[in-house]
Parts: sequence; C-alpha cells; structure tokens
Amino acid sequence: MDKILEILREIDDSVDYAKETKLIDGHILDSFGVITLVSELEDEFDISIEAAEMVPDNFNSAEAIWEMVKRLQEN
Amino acid sequence: MKTVKRVILFFVILAVLLGASSAWIHAEAVKLADFIPGRSRPFLTIAAEKKETLDLVVVGDSESYTSVSPMQMWKEQGIAGYICGQPGQKIQETYYMLKTALKEQSPKVVVLETNLMFRDPGPIKNLQSTIAEPARYHFPLLRFHNLWKIAFDGKKPGEPVFKGFSIRSGVAPFDSGDYMKETEEVQEMPKAVQFYMEEIRELCKRSGAELVLMSAPSPKNYSCKKHNAIENYAKEKGLTYVDLNLKIKELGMDWQQDSYDKGDHLNLFGAQKVTAWLGKYLKEKYEMPDHRNDPAYENWNRMEKKYAEIIQKAAL
Amino acid sequence: MAYHAALYVFVFLPVCLVAYQSMPQRHRWKVLLGFSWLFFYLISGKLIIYLIGTTLLTHYTGIWLTLLKEKECREKEQADRAAKREIKKKYQKQGRAVLALGVILLLAVLAYMKYYNFFVDNASLILDRLLLPLPLETKRIILPIGISFYTLQAIGYMADVYWGKIRAEENVFRNALFLGFFPQIMEGPICRYTDTAGELFAGKPLSYENLSDGYVRIFWGLFKKKVIADRLSVPVSAVFDHYGDHHGAVIAAAAVAYTIQLYMEFSGCMDIVIGSGKLFGICLPENFRQPFSARSAAEFWRRWHISLGTWFKTYIFYPVSMSGLVKKWNQFGKKHAGKYITQLGVSAIALFPVWLCNGLWHGARWSYIFYGMYYFTLILLGIAVKPGRDRILKVCRINEDALYWRIIQIGKTWVIIFTGELFFRADGLRAGLSMFRSMFDGFDIRQFWDGTMLGFGLSRADFAAIAAGCIVVAVVGHLKERGGTVNGRLKKVPTPVRWCVYYALIFAVLLLGAYGDGYQAVDLIYAGF
Repeated sequence: MDKILEILREIDDSVDYAKETKLIDGHILDSFGVITLVSELEDEFDISIEAAEMVPDNFNSAEAIWEMVKRLQEN
Repeated sequence: MKTVKRVILFFVILAVLLGASSAWIHAEAVKLADFIPGRSRPFLTIAAEKKETLDLVVVGDSESYTSVSPMQMWKEQGIAGYICGQPGQKIQETYYMLKTALKEQSPKVVVLETNLMFRDPGPIKNLQSTIAEPARYHFPLLRFHNLWKIAFDGKKPGEPVFKGFSIRSGVAPFDSGDYMKETEEVQEMPKAVQFYMEEIRELCKRSGAELVLMSAPSPKNYSCKKHNAIENYAKEKGLTYVDLNLKIKELGMDWQQDSYDKGDHLNLFGAQKVTAWLGKYLKEKYEMPDHRNDPAYENWNRMEKKYAEIIQKAAL
Repeated sequence: MAYHAALYVFVFLPVCLVAYQSMPQRHRWKVLLGFSWLFFYLISGKLIIYLIGTTLLTHYTGIWLTLLKEKECREKEQADRAAKREIKKKYQKQGRAVLALGVILLLAVLAYMKYYNFFVDNASLILDRLLLPLPLETKRIILPIGISFYTLQAIGYMADVYWGKIRAEENVFRNALFLGFFPQIMEGPICRYTDTAGELFAGKPLSYENLSDGYVRIFWGLFKKKVIADRLSVPVSAVFDHYGDHHGAVIAAAAVAYTIQLYMEFSGCMDIVIGSGKLFGICLPENFRQPFSARSAAEFWRRWHISLGTWFKTYIFYPVSMSGLVKKWNQFGKKHAGKYITQLGVSAIALFPVWLCNGLWHGARWSYIFYGMYYFTLILLGIAVKPGRDRILKVCRINEDALYWRIIQIGKTWVIIFTGELFFRADGLRAGLSMFRSMFDGFDIRQFWDGTMLGFGLSRADFAAIAAGCIVVAVVGHLKERGGTVNGRLKKVPTPVRWCVYYALIFAVLLLGAYGDGYQAVDLIYAGF
C-alpha cells in the first residue's frame, strides 16, 4: 500500500492520495498518468495489467489500486 | 390525478396561446400580404379579397398561375377570377387553399389544374403533409411565423401579381413534336390524391361551386397516359374535364413563341391564348356574370389598366 | 425521417410511446425493437440487412467468447497453479482469435462501404504513375444509416465480452435492440453495453417526470437545430462550396459559422436523442459538455463527441498503451532516454492510432486524415511543452485559475477549434489549404460590419435570431458548467415561472425556427459519417 502511495506521489505530488477517492472521475489523473502508473505497478509488483482493467473503479483511489494489484497477484 | 389535471391545464394554456397568437399573426399577415414572399402568399391574398366577390377560383401548381390571367379574363368577359396557385402545390395544400378561399367566397366555378394529381412525394412526405397542412390551416402561426423578420429587414415588395397571375414574357421554344401520342395506357393516380380529391369535391359541392378539371398545355408534364387517367376519373365522378393539350390547334398555340421554358410553363403569350379560350368556354357553359360595369368592382378596372400597361411593355 | 422532423417528434414518438405502454412490462423492449427496425427501414430500406447481419455476427461472437470463458473456468477448477497459467494462456489465445475474427469481419464491411472508393482512387493514382492499369472501378455505394456508429458499438460489445466485463447476451433480439435502438442509431451516442442494456430491457412504465423531462430536452434540441444551425447552413455552404470566390474575413467568418452550425446541429440532435431515450426512462450517456469552455485541445476532445472519444480511449488508446511495444519502449526509455522522452514516446505511440482512426472514422478523405493528424500534433505538442510551460508560469507567478488567464486559454482553444473545423468542412484537403491561405489574403476587419456578411443569403433578422439563440445557449451552458442541469434548477422555481419558460421555448422554436417558406430543410451532418 505504501508503495502505491509512493508511486502516485511520483506522478503528481500535489494530491493527498490517502484520502482521495475520485482520482479518475474527478479528472485528477489523466489517461497519461494512468499509463505511467500502470507501467510502474507492473514493474513493482510483477503483474500484468490488461486493457480490460482500465476502468475508473480500479483507479479511483489508492485503496482501489491496491485491491486490483492484490487480485492480479493471486491469479 | 393532480398530475393529470396539471398536464391538461398546461396544454389548454398552450392551445389558447397558440390560437390567440395565430389569430393575431394571421390578421397582421393579411395586412402585410404584399410584402410577404414565398409560396404561402396566396393564402393571405385570397383572404384579403373582398367578401363574396369572386366568380372563379383556380387552384393548382405553377401550371395554373402561368396559364390563366384573371385580368385578361376580366377585360374580355367581366369574370372576377382568382388564381390560388403555388409552385409545386401538393394535393393537401390544394384542399386547404380551397378551404381558405371558399370561407369568404362563393364562386360559381372552381378550376383545378390537374398536373398536381400525379405528384407523389412518397408515403412519408405524404403523411407529413397530411398532418402539417391542417395544423398550418388551424394555426396560421406555423405558416407565417417568419413575419417577425419584417421588423428587422423592412418591407420589401414582391413582384407584382395580378389576382394570382405573374407576368413572364421570356421565350424558350419547345420543339420536340407531338407529345400526346395515343395510347391505351393509364397513369396511376396516387392514393393520397384520390382521397383528397373526394374532399375537394365535397368542399365544392357544399359551397355550390362547379368543379372543373383542366390540363394546361404543357408538353413536359402531360401525356396521353395522364389524359386517360383524368378522363376516366372525371367520367367516374361526373366532373367536367378540359384537356387543352388536345386543343393546341384550336388555341392557336405556337411552341416557338408561347413557351417560357422549353415546354414546361407557358409564357405571357401562351397564357393569353389559354385565357381567351377558357373565358369564353366558362362564360358559355356556366353563364358567368359580367361585373365590368358594377361599381362594386371599380378597383378591378383600375388594376386592369395597370396590368395592360405592364403587358404592353412586356410584349415589346 | 430524421430526429428533427416534426413527423418524428409529434407522430413517431407518441405512437411508439402508446404502443410501449400498452404492452406488459416484460414485452416492452420488443416494442422498442420493432420501432427501431421500422425507423431504420423507413430511412435505409433494404439496407437493414446490414444491421441484422452485424447483429447476428456480434451476438454469436459474444456467445462463442463466453463459452470459451466458461470452459476455461471449468478446466481451471481442478488445476494447480502452474497448470492454471497454462490453461489461461491457451484460452487467451483462442479468445483473441475469435475476437479478431469478429472485429475483422465487421471492419471489413465498414471498410468496404466507406473506404472502397477512396482506396481505388488513390491506388489508381499511384498505379497511373507506374503506368499500370487498376482492374477496379469506383462504385456508388449507399451507406446504411448509422453504420459508423453501430459498428463501433458492436466492436465495443465484443471486446467487453472478451475482457470478461460482461457476459454475452443470450437473446439475439435483445442484442438487436442494444445495437439498433432507434434514438441513437443515426448519430450515436456510441454506448457500451453496460450503459444502456439494463434500462433498455427493463420496460419501465412511462412516468410524468420522464415524459416532461424528455420533451423539454427534445424542444431544447429543436431550438438549437432549427433556430441556429439551419440558418447558418445557408452562408456556410455559400462560402465553402465556392471558396475560390472569397478571401480574408469572409473565410474566417465561415469557419466560425461552420463551427457554430456543427455544434448546434450535433449537440441539438443529441438533446433530441437523449430526450427521446428519457421518454422511455432510458438514460443515454451525454455526448457534449460545453466544449467551448475547454482550455486546451485535449480538453476540448473530452467535452466534444464524448462517446467517440471514450470509445477510442477504451478500445484503442488503452490497449495500445498496454501493448508489448509500449512496454518495451518504456523499459528501453527508462534506461537510455530519461523520463521526459519516454513519456513523450509513450504518448506518441498511443495517440497516433487514436487520431488516425478519429480522422478516418469521419470518412475516407485526406482532409479528415489531416484533421486527425492536426489534433494529434496539437495534443502531443501540448504534452511536450507542459513541463516547460509549468516552469514559466511558476516563474512569472501566473495564477492558472485567474480569469484573464482562463480567457486567454479559451481564446487560444477557440482558434484551434475554428481552424480545425475549417479543414474538416472544406471540400478536400487542397480546398482546405487554399482557404486557409486565402484567409490571410486581404483580411479586412471592416467586412464584418460593412454589409459584406449580408450577401450570403441571411438578412439582418436572421443574424439577430442567430445571435439571440447563441446567447441563450451560452447562458444555459454557463449554468450547466457551474453544476446541475437547467431543467433541474427550473424544477425548484414556482410552477407559473417554469411554465412560462417552457412556453417561451416552444414559441421560440415555432416562431424563430428556420423552416417553411424561404428555408430549405437541412439534413443532419453527422448522420452522413
């Protein structure tokens, strides 16, 4: 979880990621931010995120991102 | 229940607003009739005619108002006629035009130029006109909504029109020979036309007018196939039908001189020949009155003078 | 019969509403399907077979994909972890093949219908140079209405099933309704299955709320289309069809006029479409969000034709940016090129296909491809200069949210939009370039008020109506931008006031609309794409 917050802060450090729950819906992360985030996540956690995962629900908060990462690691 | 009442109230108010503004716009439009361009103008000018003065009303598409000149007929026979023709008039428009005309007039004869009896815009457009025309008739707001533009653009008089007739003196000869070659074939008449023709017949009957079908000379639009269709229809319904395309010689029509656009419409000279013939024909057959010396028709004489001046210039 | 026709609004919809309501709830979606196919048939006649073909193909591809998924799950149940991976790989391969088959077939039809002539023209140009004859001739192909829209929707559906986001629909007729729902068939919005499926098949009873909201929205759309767009179509065609006769301010005015026309027409049509859906309690996604208050080209595209942008983002941009190529570049770039270059490279690789497709989607013309590349360049440029720009702003202490700065940015975006639409509307790329050049040739600002603009078929009254209409649309847009819908706000005011607004809207359409004598009916622009 902390790793995720760290990655997010690297993309844009002006947001309080621990509390924010509308990263996508609130246009805080744009599509390029998401791409950067995805490639960092893939490296960091050794997972493969497919296009199918690209839905706002998976990226709206650090919590949601963590859930997705855990799910992908299990598979 | 409360909602239903509210909805009804909403539409009642809307109908009242539409009705009131329509009445007002129509009254204003009649006053401004000369400045209103476009094909709806005859709806206004016919309404602006003095009550119970017309002996003859002609309806139809552009063939009607390029073939019959009321002013000439007035001069020669003293018949007070009016052309309620529109470019590309649809049968639904014909019906409501006639309805508008017969509201305040009781002509002896209604002449329907037959070219529009074969106009078929297809089922969707037909349905559209069938719904739109009554709406426009009952709510003239829909027809004359552009009236407000005069407030910005000022009044611009349209071309002079003499009781519905517009003077066109250009010549473009027609030279392709006999277009009425005899045949047994019969052109089909669209369903919508048949339906509205019944309504038109009914309308004429109620107002005591004789309905006469007339085909104006037009090589481009007429053929024996169409003639057969109208002939059959007229016989079936007991109507009078005159096909001037079969009377080219009798009329003295000269296609080198009398066509405006290569056999589609007649020009002034062609119209003069048709009018002379038609005036005499109607006079004899229907005992049309002669109003030339009637003081109530003084303004017809005045208009005729103006008309004579213009056509004299045009003939040069 | 298009959406702005009185016949649609006052006859087709009411008849459909009555038929809908008179059916038991679980059969109501069938009424919608029947009317959808009738609608399609009335416009495109026998070409409905393309829609039916697409429906069948989409449906059975979907089912096939779901069957594969189920088989995969069953096999996985008794497998250990290593075997699971193997199974997953196997089925991923099969699934991908099935999806590719479906997508390629659909695209082949679309490509043949839309791009065949373009291909033949250009191929013969090239072969001519080589002195080789081309055994193909251009053909007159009549497109079934909405093919560009429902094809994308069908592809989206198949991809969603492949990704496992949705289960394939089991009833082919339900899929037929999803693809062919009449309000959206001509011009979109391009919906995803999850957007509309639930409400389409729910058969909710009609309600006073929905009916009134729906018809208010429809009249709002008619207002935009009839009062503004249809008026502007006259001078726009006059200039664009005879562009050689004009230069300077007239060209600039035409570009602005066309942009306004296109917006009023397309967004107005969307109002009618979304209103039509609302009548039946179906919420279609919005396609526009005040595009003219965008502060950059990229933001403009998040506010203009949103459903198309979303489709490209979901089915092209993300898949490309998740692809092996991008990942490889990412790894390579991080080691050798630095963060800035790497990101720029990723953006370029992912954006290029999006904007190429965007251009091509509008039709097979070099000017549309140019239009796509125009925005590709601008948006990429925006990304490239962003770090530098941010630094300059910080140094100069410019507050990005200050009003004056926002106005500058919006103004800049307007220029970008107008220029883009100039090329978009121009009759071919050569005409576009020629118009663009002639705009700077003898530009005389006095032409705006010395009467020159009255020479294109519009009178003072018409300009007054356009101006008044644009002001109303701008005010409504401003209110929406501040949150909520105007109709929503109206619900809070006393009934008499609200009704007065409704009556005003109705009368504005009836009185100011460019219909009847002196006006030509104007076909929907986007229905041609």
